[in-house]
Amino acid sequence: MRKLVTALFVLLFLQLSQTTFAQERTITGTVLSDDNTPIVGASVLIKGKTSGTQTDPDGKFTITASPGDILVISAVGFTTFDVKVGNSSTISTTLQRAEGELGEVVVTALGIKKERKALGYSVSDLDAKELMKNKNTNVINSLAGKVPGVNITQFSGAAGAGASITIRGGNSTSEGRQNQPLFVVDGIIYDNSTSVTGNTGTDGLSRSNTTYSNRIMDINPEDIQSLSVLKGAAAAALYGSRAADGVVIITTKQGQEGRVSVNVNSKVSTSWANKLPEVQTEFGPGVYSSNGVLNDITYDSWGQKIPSDSTIYDNIGNFFQHGIVYDNNVNVSGGSKNGSFYLSGSNFKQTGIIPGTDYDKTTFRFNGEQKYGRLTLNANAAYSIANTDRTLTTAGLYGGGGNGAMGGVYSWPQTFNMKNYINLDGTQYRKFEGTIDLENDKDNPYWIVNEDDLTSKTNRFTGGVNGNFKIADWWDITGRLGYDQYNTNDYTYIAPGSAVIPLYQSGRLSKDRIGYSYIVTTLMSNFHKSFGDFDTHLMLGTTAENTEITSQNYWGYNFVTAGTISFNNIGNENKFFTDGTTRKRLVGAYGEFGVSYKDLIYLTATGRNDWSSTLPIENRSYFYPSLSGSFVFSQLLTNNHILSFGKIRASWAQVGKDANPYATNTYVWAPYTIDGYTLVGNQWSAGNPILKPEIQDAWEVGGEFKFLNGRIGLDYTYYHSQTKNQIGQPRLAQSGGFIFSTLNSGTVINKGMEIAITGKPIVKKDFSWDAMLNFSYNKGSLGAFIPGIAYFYPTDAQFGTVRAASIPNGGAFLAMIGRRVMHEVDKDGNEIANGRYKVDPTTGLYLLSSTANDQPVGNREPDFIAGFSNTFQYKKFTLSFLLDIRKGGDVYNGTEFALVTNGLSKKTLLNDRQSVTVNGVNSVTGEDFTQTYEADQSYTIGSTTYSGQAMIQNYWANYAQNSYNFITSVNWVKLRSLSLTYDFTSMLHNQKVIKGISATAVGTNLATWTNYKGMDPEVSAAGGTGGSGSTGIDYLGVPAVASFTFGVNLTF
Amino acid sequence: MKNLKYIIIGCVLVISFASCKKWLDVNTDPDNPNNQSVLIQNRLPWIEHFYMYSAGVANYRTACQAGVYYAIAAAQNTFSTTWQCSNANSTTPYQTWFVAVSSNVIDMYNKAEKQGAYHYMAAADVYHALGFMQMLDIYGEMPYTEAATGNPSPKPDDGKTIYNGCMAKLNEAISLFSKTQEAGAPALSAGDYMNNGDVSKWIKLCWGLKARYMLKLSKKSDLYNADSILYCLSQGPQSNADNTVVPGFNNSTVTDFLIQDPVVTNGNFNYAAYGSNQRISQYYYNLLTNMRGSGVTDPRMSKIVPAAMSNVKLDANHHVASYTWNRSIGVDSYGPSTRLLKGGATSITTATYATANKDIKYTIADATDLANFIASITAAGKTFVVDGNNVTVTYPAGSIYINNTNYVRAGDTVYVNLRSSALATSGNPDQPPTDVSWYPSIDAFNAGVVGSTGSFQVRPVSDQEILTYHEMCFIKAEVYMRQGDAGNAYTAYMAGIQANLDMMQTKLNEWQGAGYTATNPDMAPMNPDDISAYLLSDAVCQSAGTLTMSDIMLQKYVAMGCSIENWNDMRRFDFSAGDVGSFGVVYPGYQRGPLFTGQTQLTGGSPTDPRYWMRRWALPPTYEINYNSINTLALNPHAIDPNIWSMPVWWDCATDDEYYGFLK
Repeated sequence: MRKLVTALFVLLFLQLSQTTFAQERTITGTVLSDDNTPIVGASVLIKGKTSGTQTDPDGKFTITASPGDILVISAVGFTTFDVKVGNSSTISTTLQRAEGELGEVVVTALGIKKERKALGYSVSDLDAKELMKNKNTNVINSLAGKVPGVNITQFSGAAGAGASITIRGGNSTSEGRQNQPLFVVDGIIYDNSTSVTGNTGTDGLSRSNTTYSNRIMDINPEDIQSLSVLKGAAAAALYGSRAADGVVIITTKQGQEGRVSVNVNSKVSTSWANKLPEVQTEFGPGVYSSNGVLNDITYDSWGQKIPSDSTIYDNIGNFFQHGIVYDNNVNVSGGSKNGSFYLSGSNFKQTGIIPGTDYDKTTFRFNGEQKYGRLTLNANAAYSIANTDRTLTTAGLYGGGGNGAMGGVYSWPQTFNMKNYINLDGTQYRKFEGTIDLENDKDNPYWIVNEDDLTSKTNRFTGGVNGNFKIADWWDITGRLGYDQYNTNDYTYIAPGSAVIPLYQSGRLSKDRIGYSYIVTTLMSNFHKSFGDFDTHLMLGTTAENTEITSQNYWGYNFVTAGTISFNNIGNENKFFTDGTTRKRLVGAYGEFGVSYKDLIYLTATGRNDWSSTLPIENRSYFYPSLSGSFVFSQLLTNNHILSFGKIRASWAQVGKDANPYATNTYVWAPYTIDGYTLVGNQWSAGNPILKPEIQDAWEVGGEFKFLNGRIGLDYTYYHSQTKNQIGQPRLAQSGGFIFSTLNSGTVINKGMEIAITGKPIVKKDFSWDAMLNFSYNKGSLGAFIPGIAYFYPTDAQFGTVRAASIPNGGAFLAMIGRRVMHEVDKDGNEIANGRYKVDPTTGLYLLSSTANDQPVGNREPDFIAGFSNTFQYKKFTLSFLLDIRKGGDVYNGTEFALVTNGLSKKTLLNDRQSVTVNGVNSVTGEDFTQTYEADQSYTIGSTTYSGQAMIQNYWANYAQNSYNFITSVNWVKLRSLSLTYDFTSMLHNQKVIKGISATAVGTNLATWTNYKGMDPEVSAAGGTGGSGSTGIDYLGVPAVASFTFGVNLTF
Repeated sequence: MKNLKYIIIGCVLVISFASCKKWLDVNTDPDNPNNQSVLIQNRLPWIEHFYMYSAGVANYRTACQAGVYYAIAAAQNTFSTTWQCSNANSTTPYQTWFVAVSSNVIDMYNKAEKQGAYHYMAAADVYHALGFMQMLDIYGEMPYTEAATGNPSPKPDDGKTIYNGCMAKLNEAISLFSKTQEAGAPALSAGDYMNNGDVSKWIKLCWGLKARYMLKLSKKSDLYNADSILYCLSQGPQSNADNTVVPGFNNSTVTDFLIQDPVVTNGNFNYAAYGSNQRISQYYYNLLTNMRGSGVTDPRMSKIVPAAMSNVKLDANHHVASYTWNRSIGVDSYGPSTRLLKGGATSITTATYATANKDIKYTIADATDLANFIASITAAGKTFVVDGNNVTVTYPAGSIYINNTNYVRAGDTVYVNLRSSALATSGNPDQPPTDVSWYPSIDAFNAGVVGSTGSFQVRPVSDQEILTYHEMCFIKAEVYMRQGDAGNAYTAYMAGIQANLDMMQTKLNEWQGAGYTATNPDMAPMNPDDISAYLLSDAVCQSAGTLTMSDIMLQKYVAMGCSIENWNDMRRFDFSAGDVGSFGVVYPGYQRGPLFTGQTQLTGGSPTDPRYWMRRWALPPTYEINYNSINTLALNPHAIDPNIWSMPVWWDCATDDEYYGFLK
């Protein structure tokens, strides 16, 4: 203490003695950050002197200096900036945010803030400004292209559609297993599931036939202060069982000490389908039978040439409309020395590109903090209401005509006016009324969107209370109580007169309710102590989580009195309901010990033990450790201006993952009654009483390098992970007695690389250019699987002739299995890879592989993905754009498959449908086979005579069965966003009320350069199912959208 | 003070860990019982129901193959018409057996064993045999010893193993049924809605099934044993009272979890008469109207072949005032196929009801067709106008007609579909449970205009025939015929015909009593005089000396109708090849028709080549072969060959060498 006092005196004396010699002036200034917000507490020092000051809450400072002095302006998290004092008495400075700079602090597991240089693993973080550059109401979509190793797949372009995010590939193949990271908002696990309510039998809903949201969409992106992505197992290990797929940590905004500030922003945007499938308009409806007879009772377009005087309807183009979004946000924040608050409200109202669809989200949030001596309490609460008005999209209802709105739009013959969907008496207009039974007919898409009603409403409350008590300066205790709760109400109404089985033709209604509640309590004790050059910390903690999901489904059919759509208007004998309760509990105990030496070497070890309710009692406890370290070698290089910072890092970790609730038993269906007897039987999923936890083993190495004082930065990571005893519920041979069985089986291996390069090529007073290039690839593969199983089918993502699958014993995790044409064989009977096609002489067409012998036809995993973002600032203008790049990765164009099948594909116009030629080798004799089928000839094959028209149609049916005709290894460069902002604040001379005003114009997905021929290749049929999922399969989806947004931001 | 903090924290930790164990015990679903706790008396009716479901689809689709039915739906049309056998047929019988039934059979057996409920164990054995033998009949090879226990990749077994396993189960069932159950075990009647707990009937069922299965070995000189079959028959059903049938009901709209079909109705109905796609084929129709070239109409014909109303006149209230019955004819798939050749294999069109007068203009370019068309509508008494190539026909309100401008289809009202309505399928709440006729629309129902009267075996309220006395008689006739004992064969043949007529008459009387005949005369009893006349007519062989194997098998065919046994029998006689024993052509007229396109599936060049005919089905391509490909192909590398459809199953081969030769 005495030493300190002496030092202060010395400093004071020196300062006094020096200042006496200068021609001093009082200089006032403002320090702003690069987003034009004032920087509070920035330090302003005069170079070579000891005098200095700090900025106030408005970013203003006053200092006494002499001309020629150099002011060194610095703030935590920003690049230090030097300003020479000239003749002016005011100085305004903008500091650039530093990335990966020395002393930068990032949020890590359990909300623990750490210096980036201390980390032994890779963490990417994004701030509010970066996220808002292309604001999307689904925050996941704003991550696309920005974080290496993160893959985003949008479910569709429908209003309210969700998106999926995977980090470093998926670890579980099975559909019911989550591959998406854990989301943690202000320390509380935040559910991001995509709840598929209902059931294909009772209300026709499955993933593939309507729009589903993922629940992270309930967060208002404007509330987010920062977002950290913990990619590897080591980073996430402390979060335990639910973190095996990485963690996204979101920190919401807090009030700042100082005056109250009000921020209002409004945006309006318009969106449109960025690409629609093209269809032929030359041939009308009809199909030829084998002997050439034309059947015109069909929606297929294999018929006669459309007469030139016929009206052609652009049914696809007319169907989609421009979508509109109104997005309004307001927030108020402020604070004092001991407390702060942040309060926000928002409304996002979107109409979709499909008529009658919309998405409406309203959010409220309160965050507050208060200090009482050694105790700091903070609380946050958020409430959101999200409503989606959606439509049946692809597959229809069981027992119906099998189409949804999209299935209808993409198949409607171009000579039928699709807009003509209703009769004067309100019944459905049906082209083939009387010839095709209603239950075998197709619903008109306009009927579906106008008469049926499908909505989903979710109300969600999340909140948490944190208390931190400093027992000593080296010991504090944190307690946390978190709560996440939502109710989803889905409503599905099928109008009377729809193309469904007769039982439901008088209308059908179903309501599904899901109630999710999650309570977590956490207690952590932190110790921190230095011993000489060694700095140590120890954390011990325990957590208990309780999740309960209740679900109810009510459904019924046959409204007695027309016009009243209610269960009350349905007889008791036609009303049904089911009930479900899912409970899951987990207790974890964990610890972390870290030691560092002189800012040079950092080592951290963690361990966690979980007890999960979902596993058999003897297997429910499992422990997993991690070890990580970093070595800041640049500390040893003195005054190196080229390499200003250098660090290498390495980590190894295990993470355990438990099962889904109730997977240990086989359950039975609800009973039926026949003739007074009660019937009970097994469900189609087999449980497993001997399940073990799934364990992921992962390691990564990497480094961070800064060159030229941070003007250029490089971050590199290589990782490898292996998930053993994978828990799954695969589809298996039905001879096993079940459709699905829960098993521990096989391993999933992921390895890959991530590179991020940052640069500031130009840093001038009026003009600056920031650029960031990231690049990553992941190779996912499946290890040994159940003996006897050649392909693993995780999901129902089976469209056209392909199925999503993973290939055991080293095959691709994201493979596609499909049908194909057989090639000629060599002398030894082996197929020649690029040989000629075999022709089956009994059909006169190419010989297809048996559907039972489907083989891998593609790998949906990209070779690499990359993002390139640039921000240019010229005076008050800020221009930024983001390119999203992908190389490779197969996409199956199932939409084109459907168009070829129904005769609407432009491909089928080959030779004006007058001839097709089959060219290959005879599959029986091996001789050359060339045959042209002419429309006006007939052909005898075997003992059957076919008309040429039938053969041409058969040729295309055969063509459609060859998966390779629809698979493309897709490359793209997308202009993901382009935004221009102008800051008008300086025009507000002496304005007392308005403190800031800016306007922004943003375009998203304005351009896509790709070799893919279909709609937008960024697709995932069936709403991105879990497991290895349906990414890369394009099947009759709602087209992706492009949009243009204009917004104004006001600060008071 | 500081120590107190430690103590408090310590206590909290200790308490929380102690209570933790119990707190975690929440992994049992509170809403659904699990398979350990289900009562066997609730399992058995489940098994009885869902086996019937599997048998229903197997019966219907194999009946399409056997020439009983014609189907419009693409997949089944490949069985009834083109013989270009489609994989799309393969999944349902397999799934309904393996997923809906098989694991329940094992769970019921194991639980019954613990309770000493021998009769339930025996019932499990019977269903084991019924189910797996049906799978063997259809698919030839599939997992058997490793099946139905949740094994993720069960290895398949060959046909011989499955056959012997099923026979062993029947033997065990016979001995278990003969035992007295342990005290406390639930009575069989508590869970048996098929035989109401009648153990002697179950035992007869076991013997009857043994006879049926032993007959399958008729091609095998070393295993076929006539005496054994006759012994089994002597222990099996001795009269219609011993028939085992699953009753069908029309008293609920509940549909099942698997396929959303009605739960209480007959299993055949759910496939053969649920929708509008099925018709009687001409092959079956001819046997009912011209057996043995007699020109005699079978009294069963109007009970099996449906009719629709025609020449309907409506009264002022739009209710039917007068009409005639239009009895269907069969769809000609194997003969000249004139109609199908004009429109294509699946082109038969379903009729519509005219709520108001309806004009349809047909354009007929071909002069002969035009003349023929005008002649036909003139003969039918239709109102029409001719203008060059155009003929405009007026269908008066109340007509059942074809709503299509293609003149080729205009006459398709002669093919009445097999459809019946159930409460769970009609979509018409006003249609009472005692009216199972099909009406083309609600307007037609309100007018009282019937679109189809349905067919005896495939109505919602029909009995699902598991094993009948008439089948026993025909088996006996065949066995004696093979022994050269025409006298006994003839007696059994006549008894079989009589038994089937009696069984039908009993059911028809029952339906009449229940009120079904108020709107549906085809559900009323047959005229006893017609029965007597028929039995004395040329349609029935009148002496042992002139009895042929074909007489026996064709009468069996008529009686069995919607049953997999017809296709099984046809395979044993190589269909119409005429190369089995000295029996000649047993199924004359059953042949590839002009719309045949099945060269890839049926690769045999001539009728005597086994591979000329439909002899099995491909395994479900996705749910079995693809999901279990390594094991499947290890046993039968040809499982994925397109011509697997013509590969004989084990019992369809004369020797094991022949069978294993196919599997090589």
